[in-house]
Amino acid sequence: MATLIIDGQEVHAEEGQTVLEVARANGFEIPTLCYHPQLEPYGACRLCIVEVIRRGRSRLETSCTYPARDGLVIKTKSPPVIEARAVILGLLLSRCPNVPVIQELALEYGITEPPFPVEDPEEKCILCGLCVRTCHELVKADVLNFSQRGIERRVGPPFLEKTRQCIGCGACTIVCPTGAIEIVLEQAGIYKEKPLGPTAAIWVPSLQAVPRVPVIDTDACIRFRQNDRTEGEIADACGVCQMVCEAGAINFDQQDEVVEVDVGTVIVATGFQMWDPAQLSQYSYGKSPNIITGMEFEHLSNAGGITSGEILLADGRKPEQVAIIHCVGSRDHNAHEYCSRICCMYSLKQAHLVRDKTDAAVYEFYMDMRAFGKGYEEFYERVQEEGVVMIRGRGAEVEVLPDGKLRVKGEDANLGRLVYVDVDMVVLSTAIEAPHDANQVAALFGLSRSVDGFFAEAHPKMRPVETNTGGVFLAGAAQAPKDVPDTVAHAGAAASMALALMDQGEVTISPAVAVVDEELCSGCKTCISLCPYTAISFIEEDNVARVNEALCKGCGTCVAACPAGAIEALHFTDEQIVAQIEGVLAWV
Amino acid sequence: MAERHRADLLISCLHGRYPELIPTLQEEIERRGLTGEVGVVEAGCRGLCAMGPVMLIKPGGLFYTNVQPADVPELVEETLIKGRAVERLAYKEPVTHQSVCYYEDIPFYSKQVRHVMHDCGMIDPQSIEEYIAVGGYQALSKALTTMTPKEIIEEVKKSGLRGRGGAGFSTGWKWEATRQSAGDVRYAIANGDEGDPGAFMNRSLMEGDPHAIIEGMVIGAYAIGNVRNAYIYVRDEYPLAVSNLNIALEQAREYGLLGEDILGTGFDLDIKVVRGAGAFVCGESSALMQSVEGKVGEPRPKHYHATERGLWGQPTALNNVETWANIPLIINKGAEWFASFGTENSKGTKTFCLAGQIQNTGLIEVPMGITLREVIYDIGGGIPGGRELKAVQTGGPSGGCIPASLLDLPVDYDSLVEAGSMMGSGGMIVMDDRTCMVDIARYFLEFLKEESCGKCSPCREGIRAMLEILTRITEGQGKMADLETLETLAKTVQTASLCGLGKSAPNPVISTLRHFRDEYVAHIEDKKCPAGVCKALIEYYIIEDKCLGCGLCRRKCPQGAISGEKKEVHVIDPALCIKCGICRDVCKFDAVGVR
Repeated sequence: MATLIIDGQEVHAEEGQTVLEVARANGFEIPTLCYHPQLEPYGACRLCIVEVIRRGRSRLETSCTYPARDGLVIKTKSPPVIEARAVILGLLLSRCPNVPVIQELALEYGITEPPFPVEDPEEKCILCGLCVRTCHELVKADVLNFSQRGIERRVGPPFLEKTRQCIGCGACTIVCPTGAIEIVLEQAGIYKEKPLGPTAAIWVPSLQAVPRVPVIDTDACIRFRQNDRTEGEIADACGVCQMVCEAGAINFDQQDEVVEVDVGTVIVATGFQMWDPAQLSQYSYGKSPNIITGMEFEHLSNAGGITSGEILLADGRKPEQVAIIHCVGSRDHNAHEYCSRICCMYSLKQAHLVRDKTDAAVYEFYMDMRAFGKGYEEFYERVQEEGVVMIRGRGAEVEVLPDGKLRVKGEDANLGRLVYVDVDMVVLSTAIEAPHDANQVAALFGLSRSVDGFFAEAHPKMRPVETNTGGVFLAGAAQAPKDVPDTVAHAGAAASMALALMDQGEVTISPAVAVVDEELCSGCKTCISLCPYTAISFIEEDNVARVNEALCKGCGTCVAACPAGAIEALHFTDEQIVAQIEGVLAWV
Repeated sequence: MAERHRADLLISCLHGRYPELIPTLQEEIERRGLTGEVGVVEAGCRGLCAMGPVMLIKPGGLFYTNVQPADVPELVEETLIKGRAVERLAYKEPVTHQSVCYYEDIPFYSKQVRHVMHDCGMIDPQSIEEYIAVGGYQALSKALTTMTPKEIIEEVKKSGLRGRGGAGFSTGWKWEATRQSAGDVRYAIANGDEGDPGAFMNRSLMEGDPHAIIEGMVIGAYAIGNVRNAYIYVRDEYPLAVSNLNIALEQAREYGLLGEDILGTGFDLDIKVVRGAGAFVCGESSALMQSVEGKVGEPRPKHYHATERGLWGQPTALNNVETWANIPLIINKGAEWFASFGTENSKGTKTFCLAGQIQNTGLIEVPMGITLREVIYDIGGGIPGGRELKAVQTGGPSGGCIPASLLDLPVDYDSLVEAGSMMGSGGMIVMDDRTCMVDIARYFLEFLKEESCGKCSPCREGIRAMLEILTRITEGQGKMADLETLETLAKTVQTASLCGLGKSAPNPVISTLRHFRDEYVAHIEDKKCPAGVCKALIEYYIIEDKCLGCGLCRRKCPQGAISGEKKEVHVIDPALCIKCGICRDVCKFDAVGVR
């Protein structure tokens, strides 16, 4: 343990610490631009210089690289330090006069104007090398490096050309202190479901969930992507999250696991997914960062989100006009014909939030206002009173104007003519739809699906939570679009149905089930794929099909299909049916 | 073994000008039936660049300058057959114009003390036998067989040898620190990355006497201990140095002087030549080591000395090639002998390159403490054209300018630093009264702007800013406040930069501001360049009294800016004049003036 004196105060340092680390740990402020705790010290920006007095000799040294040796006397704010920092900041401001970080730092040292102006005021890179070192030390992609010397020095990939070595991780854009690096997405994809575009690979998918647990997106995580790309050759890429996590909660080796549980009943509550508005080009989704979906608006407006709940445009400005377009993908013959039911009310809520948090004018393009629930109509009236402009008619097209403004065109059915409005932000109230893997879930439980893709209930009026498969129930939007109160009610009903069944302990099944005559069965497996209830399984050792009587609903599909005539439906044997037909015909 | 001849002709300083000189000589010797009697050797640098190619005939010491292929028949006939000197080819004393035929009598050489360069130009650098014949590798054998590593270090410490790369750190102490740093693997490196414009001491040494460097390194490696690999870092612009060093290394290996079990003592060492790509900053120790490691040659912070954590993080002794070449001398002749040359704190001799406005441009070796006056006037032969000395720039681009008033300054590490310059690796640029000191500062900063690696902001941006101010001043746009800004900038670049390049980059500005502030003021306040260099501030005119109307300037003027009838006074049209200075150079009557 070393003891140092920083600005007259005695502080202790651990083995291997630098002066900067010790100073910051003890609350001394030292400005830095090229320092990052997870990277090797570099000593390039020289802003962190301090006066180091050692063995009676005073020198200016960069605190980020200087080892905290015993007996050092450090001055972080002595006149030579302040003077040198001011000159360096003047030089950096001259290089990058329009970079806010530099402007602010320079201002702290009393510099408002670049003292040595350069020709290109748009330069943003201060050559701190954070990106280069991140790419080399953490990402291990080694894409970025310096080229040229002196004032001509540049950062970039080899020969400043596009390279396949770049994995597009974006780590360089995140560490860059001046915003000099931009990632151009050639394939939108990995960031699609993230709130408001590119972000770190660790994110909190549900901002208000308890506990609020972040996840690592292995498709975006540098470590996993480098690992996949090099087939494990670079297994030690990045790992910064592990280094900084004080709880030691990060484990890269954790794998998805399959848990098998024996249950008596199953409630399918697989919910919905948001429809992708890029499928209809007239909404220009993806062409401007200020065209967002209702779900993205929720992330933006959330107090735990990236703007801490402020409603801002992509460039950080407050919007002055916002348009909300209803029925995007719903009630549309080119997308979903059904009404998604929830959009009208959440659109109204979002209109209310915009009015509440900003001074922006709000335009709602709606076809019909479906305020069907308790208190909903009253809320609609309140929102109208808040000054939201209601335009009855589908928002037909969004055009991105050259100045970045967005023009929303539509028909005002009440006026009977075409209208348009220029706004800063467009919120698309997108449809909800059945999850893309609903067919797999359906096959697993033997469920049928209605035309709209949602799981079909046993009877639309009489049995709204049951399915045709015994013991399997539906809850919430897996069955059809629902708002929260409806979902809760539906789920409650499903739960009581399931409990009632389990409380019985055993079930009475219909005696009309199929049986296989194993003498006749040739083991062709035709029946297995046909059974809608997955009730037939193939017994390998006996080379025959066998029906699970608890699952069989006696529909007769297998009976009719069996080429060997080996399956019979009990109580509906050929003989019995023929006898019934004869009996009926006897009346004729 | 080398053949024995009646006479050997040692040719130096060809500078690639007469590639046919040696073949012509050999043909002539064959034609005259002297084959086997007379040998022709292309030897290393003799230092007298201005008069190359030069020829030294051994034995005897006849010395010819400016030898051209056309001189060969006469030379062979007169000297080799008849035994007479060809006076026409002898060295001419620049002031008295007397011919000096013998090597020892030439003042350029007689005033020098050539220790390190002693064999340079005297032996064939590609022959280890010749090096051994003049006493080479004796020191190695002495050190390895009769001295302990500690004794060697003590001897080097006692000699007072300081680093010849410029910083002047005690070599013995450096070795001792390296030896005392814990490490199973240690390294030794010779820095031959000489990058200063106008400096070629290291190049001449590596080309002319490579074995001396190798011998010094083997001794050093043995003394430091645990050194099994050593490197000689040479810039690739020195192809002859690279090839001569490689030949020498191969020969040393063959003779058991390098490699495993050197001289049967069980000591192993191999030396490799590492070629640098020629970045000036790679002469800086940490950047050099980065470059040896195969990385971009960029300095790294040096809170740990290289003797502790150097190449690949191991203790490393990095010395200039000239420092290494001094080692065999110290071992052979002893520390007392070595210390008998030089001053209290700067011992031994040092090589310098004389360049600029001086008669005998070339390479010299003098004892430390010699005055600038002796160097410039006695050895260098003074300023051409009888002009006045204005300043001497030492220490390369990042050194400083010493004014003529300090001509009696002793040349040693500490005096030079005191005068605002530095020893550097030994460049010495002599400037006469036609040199503008503001322009000189601008020129060196221009060089440093190109050569700054660009890693740290004070050096990269600070040099640019200083250069812009200087350029402004030379263009007549300067303000008095600029001088203060220059001083502030210079101070920050000096104190806050990462490496030696940045820390010394403001030296040209600081030293010229200190010694020649009035020139800056003349540029700014009077809008005049006293030396007549800065084009924006000068005007060429014809001095009426002197112009005879010969018309030479009129014919040579590229712009047609001069008019005048024959035998009448000519006139320069300032509107057309581009201030190229050709008229002034060609006028035989000094009738073109600058104001």
